[in-house]
Amino acid sequence: MMGMHLGAPSTPCVQKGDKVKLGQVIGTPEGFLGLPVHASIAGEVIDVGPVQGLGATPGIGVTIKNDYSDEWVEGLEPLGNVETCPKEKIVPAIKNAGICGMGGASFPTHVKFAVKEGQYCDTIILNGAECETHLTADHRLMLENSVRIVDGLRAAMRALDVKKGIIAIEDNKPDAIEAMRKAANGRDGVEVRPLKTKYPQGGEKQLIQVVTGREVPTKKLPLDVHVIVLNVGTAAAIADAVIDGKPLISRITTVTGHVNNPSNFRIRIGTIAEDIIGECGGYSEKPGKIVFGGAMTGMPAPSDLIPLAKANNGVVVYNEKEALNLEESPCIRCGRCVEACPIGLNPYKLKYLCDADDLKAAAEADIMDCVVCGSCSYICPAHRFLTPAFKNMKDKITAEARKKRG
Amino acid sequence: MDIFIPALIVAVIGLVLGALLGMASKKFYVKVDERVEQVRAYCAGAGCGACGYASCDAFAEAVVKGEAPVNGCRPGGNEAAKAIAEVMGVNAEKTNPIVARVICQGSNATAKERYNYNGIPSCRVAAGIAGGPKQCRFSCIGLGDCMAKCAFGAIHMENNLCVIDEDKCTGCGACVEECPRNVIRLLPKEQSVYVHCRNTDKARMARDVCMTACIACARCKKACQYDAITVENGVATIDPEKCTRCGECAKVCPCKCIVPPEVVA
Repeated sequence: MMGMHLGAPSTPCVQKGDKVKLGQVIGTPEGFLGLPVHASIAGEVIDVGPVQGLGATPGIGVTIKNDYSDEWVEGLEPLGNVETCPKEKIVPAIKNAGICGMGGASFPTHVKFAVKEGQYCDTIILNGAECETHLTADHRLMLENSVRIVDGLRAAMRALDVKKGIIAIEDNKPDAIEAMRKAANGRDGVEVRPLKTKYPQGGEKQLIQVVTGREVPTKKLPLDVHVIVLNVGTAAAIADAVIDGKPLISRITTVTGHVNNPSNFRIRIGTIAEDIIGECGGYSEKPGKIVFGGAMTGMPAPSDLIPLAKANNGVVVYNEKEALNLEESPCIRCGRCVEACPIGLNPYKLKYLCDADDLKAAAEADIMDCVVCGSCSYICPAHRFLTPAFKNMKDKITAEARKKRG
Repeated sequence: MDIFIPALIVAVIGLVLGALLGMASKKFYVKVDERVEQVRAYCAGAGCGACGYASCDAFAEAVVKGEAPVNGCRPGGNEAAKAIAEVMGVNAEKTNPIVARVICQGSNATAKERYNYNGIPSCRVAAGIAGGPKQCRFSCIGLGDCMAKCAFGAIHMENNLCVIDEDKCTGCGACVEECPRNVIRLLPKEQSVYVHCRNTDKARMARDVCMTACIACARCKKACQYDAITVENGVATIDPEKCTRCGECAKVCPCKCIVPPEVVA
């Protein structure tokens, strides 16, 4: 898939019949937010054409037939040790490796490092909170690849001359805290910070507030409070890119729910969901809904024939009973959504504005600050469709603003 | 009798203020062109925005100033245009009534389903999830975003497909703006023969996802004696200027995506 990151999709640069090797660039970046795409298996390109992913319209995909040689492409440029390699080469290496945020939002990582004039960064936070229910991909990564994560953090810190790096982990993962502490021992400025377990703490702005006590103002970015947040998976990918010069071609993904043997896998980017569900021993019940990502913020998939992208941290399978949507009923004004909202919005009130299709009033009620975490929908005893309505409203307001700008 | 004095005071205050108000309204009277009010009265009053002005009042003012055409009120149609033209003392050009038409026939019966959507009832949301609940990426989603926008109650849903009542439709275009898939177009009412599909995919792909998709076979083009049909980009289009609505194309269309005029009428 060419459109795996936020921003313009990449342009495929291989043709049907071409032989590609592992890590070869198959898509060239487009625009400011563009990223290259690399072959995640070696073999022959059998198709370049539209593939329906999770988005509204089909994207261009490159289908490669695996020859199982796993032969790496020549010309990788490893920078060597993260502590001694030249600083100015780190960010270009991140861009060339095609790294985007691997926690779910798929924002191109090199753009996060583009510190504008007048801005500065004093802290990099690694997000190992993994507050999303069901998922354990980051947890496994922290246990098994803890040194790589710290290496990635150090590379990021050196690239921007940042003195402080904090690895934030929720306290429901004591073994991960232990492992990361061991790995961080003796490294410059790296600290492991256990957090209380709480959803949606893994949201960028929430995490910054918990870890540093700084609140990111509305319509501002983390850099405005001098912080950059990276997922632990992104940090490990940065380490791979810097130390070995290897692009991002695989990631750890949790497959869980109604499958026979729920597991974590290191999958190649572009693997079809059906294949990894087969690896888990298949479905244990007839699937009602398959969600890519976590149960709270993931995207529903139309079938299991969808390829996994760089940011897919999980595949959750629901059975038919769980997938059933309950009927929406009138608001009983219990106020639980107000208590649940991590931003401090009034979800029940916003829902009325959404139902009335009042874009202006909704924008004035700060709907754009909604992080679409799903807490209000989850807690609502009347089963109001709060979060999807807010997401729709946010999209509408963005579209309207874009139209006005012309 | 205690009530008498306060009542008197209130009555006197009322009288004095009333007199003041009366004098003020005479003295500070702003002369409104009475034609504005007359024009406003003949507008359909739907507030639909089809004329291009923010409200019916704004349109009426613009007509009197000579900025807007007298036949600008689309919901009002020819009757309103005639009445407004009389107020303004000009002749109204007769406009061809325009109606909104759905360029899709992909109901539950003919279009293949991609997945069972059970989220919030909004086409916009459904269209954004993995290419929409129907396999065809050009199809009407049928959850009624247009229906909610229609000020004239001209739209209803049948089998997950939008159906427009052409007698009620005024051609204001609110639904055209709202549709996330752009399946609604404003067409002249008299152009009753048109291609009910906008799928530009190759024939096999189009046929795979919907039984009533245009496969660009060009049979309609051959059948047309008036050279009104062009097949481009994998879809046929009928030129309303040249079309005589003879219905020959509809007879040969293998996918029934051109509907004979008598069925539409």
